[in-house]
Amino acid sequence: MSAPFTKLAWTNVSKDLRLEWRSRDVFNSMMFFALIVVVVFSFAFEREDSKPVMGGLIWIAFLFSTTMALNQSWARELRNGVLDAYRVSPAPAEALFLGKCLGNFILIVLLECLMAPLFVIFYNLSSVGPLWQLVLVTLLGTWALVVNGTFFAAMSIRTRNRELMLPLLLLPISIPAVLSMVTGTAQVLSGDGSPNVQLKFLAGFCVIFTTACFLLFETVLNAE
Amino acid sequence: MIAGLNEPTEGNILIYGIPNKQALDRMGYMAHAPLLYDELSGMENLRFFAQLYGISSDAPLTKAMERVGLDPKLERRVGQYSQGMRQRLSLARAIFHEPKLLLLDEPFSNVDPDSALQIATLLAGMRSGGATILLVTHQVGLLANLADEYLMLSHGQLIDHGPMTRGQA
Amino acid sequence: MKTKLFFAFAAFCCAFLAYGTYQGLVVAPTEETMGDVQRIFYVHVPAATVGFTLFFVNFLASIFYLWKRSPQADALAATSAEVGVVFCTVVLITGPIWARYAWGVWWSPWDMRLNTTLMLWLLYMSYLILRRSSSAGSTSVLASSLAIFAFLDVPIVYMANRWFRTHHPSPMIGTPNLDPRMQTILFINMLAFLCFGTLIAWFRYEMERTAQKINIAHVQRAAGGAAGMLLLPAMFFATPSHVNPHAYLWGGYIAAWGIYLGYLFFLMSKLARLKKEAAEVEAG
Repeated sequence: MSAPFTKLAWTNVSKDLRLEWRSRDVFNSMMFFALIVVVVFSFAFEREDSKPVMGGLIWIAFLFSTTMALNQSWARELRNGVLDAYRVSPAPAEALFLGKCLGNFILIVLLECLMAPLFVIFYNLSSVGPLWQLVLVTLLGTWALVVNGTFFAAMSIRTRNRELMLPLLLLPISIPAVLSMVTGTAQVLSGDGSPNVQLKFLAGFCVIFTTACFLLFETVLNAE
Repeated sequence: MIAGLNEPTEGNILIYGIPNKQALDRMGYMAHAPLLYDELSGMENLRFFAQLYGISSDAPLTKAMERVGLDPKLERRVGQYSQGMRQRLSLARAIFHEPKLLLLDEPFSNVDPDSALQIATLLAGMRSGGATILLVTHQVGLLANLADEYLMLSHGQLIDHGPMTRGQA
Repeated sequence: MKTKLFFAFAAFCCAFLAYGTYQGLVVAPTEETMGDVQRIFYVHVPAATVGFTLFFVNFLASIFYLWKRSPQADALAATSAEVGVVFCTVVLITGPIWARYAWGVWWSPWDMRLNTTLMLWLLYMSYLILRRSSSAGSTSVLASSLAIFAFLDVPIVYMANRWFRTHHPSPMIGTPNLDPRMQTILFINMLAFLCFGTLIAWFRYEMERTAQKINIAHVQRAAGGAAGMLLLPAMFFATPSHVNPHAYLWGGYIAAWGIYLGYLFFLMSKLARLKKEAAEVEAG
């Protein structure tokens, strides 16, 4: 029989991190991409006119980068057919999924840690509301995007236009969460109202969709 | 299909009386693709896959690597292996957990004749040790002294089967 | 496939629809504030009802497919999603036409129902595109999983719209105080369109089963809604007061029926192609 679930998930995460550390191709290009995105946005959206839409702006930039990053989540597994090796092993597919999600989550959070200070610099941002709320909105929103994104990336494996399918599937489903993230961020930045409703909503969204993803992942992995 | 990668259109598959999906820990599978991570070394690959089977010690992995004729201490990444080495490591990945049923898809392709003979001898050893081996190949000659039975397929239909006699090629 | 029952039902639907449309266009009392253009309502709301019902059917069929792997369930899921998108398109086109006249804006970002409908349209369009792009063996399983996600999202979207946008004034696209006569006529139209929707879905389902049997993985799936977009160039650029209000009304009805008929013609051509392919499979 295979190792306990958490150990397996951790094995997957550490394997992904190690693979990434060895080649650093994804990490470098994604960091650079994040920088480019912020710079382009800062040119496209003037500082003064953007004050009211800062929340939306930041999250569009995050969404864009997240989609790019998630597109290659399964690339290494597909390259040499490793996914099949996983499927014929007794290890549960959900452990693989959890490992992948955690790995992606770490990568995206790192991206956001790079982009956020850049936004602060370019737009001279300061937060009126408490910062921990902003962090919480960001973390919950990121998990919502990552868990669905990893799932849909796995679905896209068996489609023709793989890179296009991911945003096509992810964005419609995520619209309510994005709405929530944007509203929450705007509220904290401007200090106008408390994002408690958004936080609860995001937490609910995360719970519902994480459960759905876990229940359906094995089905989707073996859809052949 | 036996390994559960494809679903049969009807019926079900039992291995030693257990449905195939639940007997995965007793099966070893080697495919056309190497099923290995290019950026990890041989032992690192095996250690990762060993976790999937619940094996945490290095001993069976070292043994498997030696049996297929690879050096366990080799730090080189699999992406830089030759084709033959990759094939051997793929086989090691299929046998380290001492499976009772081994499924091999073209294990002798892209391998030089000496290595092929080595692998065939290894498989014979495993068969004598009680494992069942299901092998797909176009190179029938190599199996002359190895196989107990053969099945011949053409266009997806079974056209011939029977026990293998010595010297038959 | 084309049994007498089907044709009898089709005749019944035509009669019922004609009756409902007549009621809506002629018999129904004119609404005070919006005038005759309000009659689009009798096409807009039934389309929404049928669309949402079909999406619910899709949800049930997808769950059943994942449970029992029955090809009939998969065919039903594909059918209900496609026909549902057609009806949803009608909602999204007749809504703005009506809104442009009645409230001066094509779209209200804070109207809950329009936003929910748009979301549904996006979700099920992505479902149709997934069905089309996925590799042959995996289509049914992937699509069924997506359908479950899509349907889980529906109440979430509804709640999101309600909680996060209500502090804006919302020109809700609807008729607040419904005259009981209007209610009856609305109800008649809803039933008529439900029958019509069932008819189309039945036709489409038979086609899907045929395609399954021929095992054609590349059957084209496209929303008929694109056709409707082409029918309304002029109206977009005229301000409300300069255009005869009836133009909006007729525009709405023509758009709706254009979409339905366009979709039916599209299904006919697909059927012809399927028959040809079936003949080839028989021969070869």
